[in-house]
Amino acid sequence: MKKFFKKLIKLGLLVYGVLFTVFYFDLDGKLLFYVVEPFLVKHYDSVKRKDPLKAVYGMDKPNYEYDVK
Amino acid sequence: MKLNILEKVKNVAKSISEFDVNKLKEADYKKLAKDFVYGKPHGERRLGDLYLPKTGLYKHREWRGLKDTFYYFNMIWLYNYAHMVTDIMKYGGLPAFVRGLWRYRWMGQTYLPVMHWFDRGLEGLRGEALRASAWHYRAMTSETIRQFMRMFAADVSNGGSKELHDHTLAHDETVWGGIFYPWRNNFDDVPLQMIPYFVTCHVNNHTVLHYIDAVQSIGLPGDPCPMCQAEAGIFVDDDMPDYYPAFVTSNEACDGSVATSVLQDWMINKPLFAMPQPMQFDDPLVLEHCEREIEECWKFIEEQTGQPFNFELLKEYLEKQNKLQEFEWEKWDVAANTNYYPINGVAQALYRIYQSQDGYRDIWAETDKKVRKILNKVVEKKIDSFPLTRHRVIAWSCAPLYYSNWCTWAYNCWGLNCIINRDSLMFDMTIRTDTYENCLHDMAVYHEWAPMRRMAVGGMHHIFELWDYMERFHCDMVMMYDQLQCKGMQGVHGLFEDEFRARNIHAIWMPHALPDKRVVSRAEIRQIVNDYMTTVMHEEPLDPSLLDFDDGESW
Repeated sequence: MKKFFKKLIKLGLLVYGVLFTVFYFDLDGKLLFYVVEPFLVKHYDSVKRKDPLKAVYGMDKPNYEYDVK
Repeated sequence: MKLNILEKVKNVAKSISEFDVNKLKEADYKKLAKDFVYGKPHGERRLGDLYLPKTGLYKHREWRGLKDTFYYFNMIWLYNYAHMVTDIMKYGGLPAFVRGLWRYRWMGQTYLPVMHWFDRGLEGLRGEALRASAWHYRAMTSETIRQFMRMFAADVSNGGSKELHDHTLAHDETVWGGIFYPWRNNFDDVPLQMIPYFVTCHVNNHTVLHYIDAVQSIGLPGDPCPMCQAEAGIFVDDDMPDYYPAFVTSNEACDGSVATSVLQDWMINKPLFAMPQPMQFDDPLVLEHCEREIEECWKFIEEQTGQPFNFELLKEYLEKQNKLQEFEWEKWDVAANTNYYPINGVAQALYRIYQSQDGYRDIWAETDKKVRKILNKVVEKKIDSFPLTRHRVIAWSCAPLYYSNWCTWAYNCWGLNCIINRDSLMFDMTIRTDTYENCLHDMAVYHEWAPMRRMAVGGMHHIFELWDYMERFHCDMVMMYDQLQCKGMQGVHGLFEDEFRARNIHAIWMPHALPDKRVVSRAEIRQIVNDYMTTVMHEEPLDPSLLDFDDGESW
């Protein structure tokens, strides 16, 4: 049990150290800027979208007016 | 590739061979140790050296001394990344998040680099100012997640729940959330553009350019307000979740928004109630008209939801909102009359405009509780949060959304401390709840004092409140926002010039195009401030490394 906790603490310290390195050297920012964002932008450019200009602009819509006096 | 690695190895070998051992011997280890433990003092930090060219990314994040670096790492960076995940789980779960992320451009581009938004706004901060400002950012992040998760969970066009869809109302971001308080027990209200437009501009200003281009691609000219353009562009690009059965629009900020509403009516094709804010107010007859419009809007909501108006619920939420306002007044009191105010200009402005427009949410009350503790501490212990303040600045009119953190830069570089701004001061009121008539009257006033209306195009009386607020907050300088595509404010440029001269006030005009950094870049904004500070004020920068750097491609 003691060994297990020792291992757990060591692992925790290792993870903490790795995360601090990511934080300090802005590795999260670099990954997002150079890899994730360009990938996502490419993906969004390829998403199929409906053409809103083809929607009919109906002139017979209900008139939402109310007598509140 | 091989050549690159070889070159790098050669460079490292060269730098080792050129390493001057004497430098090591001559180093002041006592000073180095002090800087390690406490961080470098303002003036020695050279924050501009931390940036990678163009991108605004950091070679490494700032070392703020042991205590503040680990506060930032533990309580801001780790805490916020962890809470982003828990907020997603709390407000709708991972599947809804992934569906939204994969479908909506504004989601992926904006949400992921959010920690850099914190970094930019909190640069150079230490101690209580770092803590208080970061809590404001945390609240905005949490509320943003709540809003987009509701959008995705209720998005019937992308696998969302029909039941949630039918219990969500949408509204223009400039229609105050308080209008929907009488239905908050069974229905949620989520602004259409607050997350897809407003927040994106601050967090990652790349995203919004796409929407401006989208609306211009169908023939809209480039000169209307870019806010209205971008908001319409989201619909032109078919990038809005279908999360609501009906919506309420407004003419805010100006005629540009009327056009946006027309496009929305066309492209959304759902029941729409238009509730415009009057351009000219301060008139009892206009106020009466405004009261009737709010009542009409309530009738519309009753009709759409099938649930009657609940005055008791309205009162309950308004009283909660009044508590937020009362604390805001306490904050203003400390900001106006002491040097201890621990919230920097960008945190103050963004939190306040977000909170006052969005309406009451629990996260605002929780955050105010945390900030109150800090506020009490700095006042009791007389902690000067911005000790190198040279000028107390008031920022006026509407701010550049892609450079809302200019005040962080201005303090670090020049000691210009933005004490208060127009974004914060618009809703300087509580709302009476004693009778229905008083309540409706005050709600109509609140509705009339909407962003851009009271801060910009709502008439001379309001925009010239600047002089009173300058006195009240003991400010000696004005950062005068100059939104180049706002026809209303362009019309009064000369009047302000005359008043500044007549009153002998130092004012720096900051040109910008709200969300569109292509019109005036952040580097140009900095250059204008630099020029004023050197040629008019004859002052030296506190941090010369921040005078000129290229962040043209940054978020």
